[in-house]
Amino acid sequence: MRTPLIAAALLLVACGSSLPPPSDRLASAEAAARSARELGAEKEPKAQLHLKLASEQIDQAKKLMADGDNKRADLILQRANSDAELAVMLAKENTAKAAADEAQGKVKNLKTGK
Amino acid sequence: MSVRTTLSLVSLSLLTTAVGCGSTLPPKELVDARAAYQSASKGAASQQAPAELHVAKQSLDQAERSFNDEGDAPQTKDYAYIAIRKSQLAEASARALIAQKEKEAAEREAANLTADQLRSAQKELSSTKQHLEKTQDQLAAEKVAREAAEKKAAQALADLQKIAAVKQESRGMVITLSGSVLFPSNESTLLPGAMVKLNEVADALIKGNPDSNITVEGHTDSQGQRQYNMELGKKRADAVRDQLVSRGVAADRIKSVGVGPDRPIADNKTAEGRANNRRVEIIVEPNKH
Repeated sequence: MRTPLIAAALLLVACGSSLPPPSDRLASAEAAARSARELGAEKEPKAQLHLKLASEQIDQAKKLMADGDNKRADLILQRANSDAELAVMLAKENTAKAAADEAQGKVKNLKTGK
Repeated sequence: MSVRTTLSLVSLSLLTTAVGCGSTLPPKELVDARAAYQSASKGAASQQAPAELHVAKQSLDQAERSFNDEGDAPQTKDYAYIAIRKSQLAEASARALIAQKEKEAAEREAANLTADQLRSAQKELSSTKQHLEKTQDQLAAEKVAREAAEKKAAQALADLQKIAAVKQESRGMVITLSGSVLFPSNESTLLPGAMVKLNEVADALIKGNPDSNITVEGHTDSQGQRQYNMELGKKRADAVRDQLVSRGVAADRIKSVGVGPDRPIADNKTAEGRANNRRVEIIVEPNKH
């Protein structure tokens, strides 16, 4: 974190931007991506796609922050966050559907007397 | 939204960033964001995920404001992109909630089915148990009844053996009563003491062999005319039968036969042998049941 901060500080002068680096947004986007991974987003194609988009945009935002473009980085991180949160929900949906299938399978087995 | 569409949206947004503003037409991202919200608000999300749908609406409004203020600027596309994701999230959230409810319903049904099956198994078990207990009770009752009948029969036999000779033969139980005990010489009228004795025999027969057929045979020695002896045997058998019937032995199961001198059991040349031959035999046939 230290090097990008110094770089950002240097670039602040160069670009004349008054925006501070969006560290909080970066942290929450990374946290959301981590949650998605922990909930099994990589096992479900749609969730996996949005997790990948989130990761790519987080990387992109880090570069923008390093270049001092905090304003653009902030928006990219908002995009990353929306993808990560969607990945979380898609992973939850996948888990809930699997659990529903399992429970319905049990009912079916009970009805057929297995 | 397909993978390809999403990827092309990303690349398109990168491309259009280079072109910059100047167009008054809404960018493709905003058109897509409107459609995504339309789709979400018409679907299950309005019922199942109203909070998420509200967030999606706010996000779309922000994109619309950005388009009004900034036109086709990069952030308009960013806000539109985010609005699409929020609409998708609302829909995914609704689907997850529906799946959750389906799971809970299935679990309740499974629990009910399990409970039903348990109840029916318990019912079956208790009915089997009851049946078993009933069978055991019946067996016990039958055993008691059989033992009582056997005891009664044994007692009746013991009673008979006190008053007469009792033998088991293939034709049945044979009770032999001496002629001199029952009748005066050459007569067929019972002696008073004989009646008492025959009543005891009748009691034993009723108690011990209530279902058996009974034959009373009158036997004589060989002295005198055969015809006379045959008639005497028959009359004596009748007298014994009548006495047994008068004491309660069922008339339809007892018959009398005159055998006369035809089946001696001892030598007719001696006085002792002849006395033994003068006799009445009561034959109790083996029970057919």
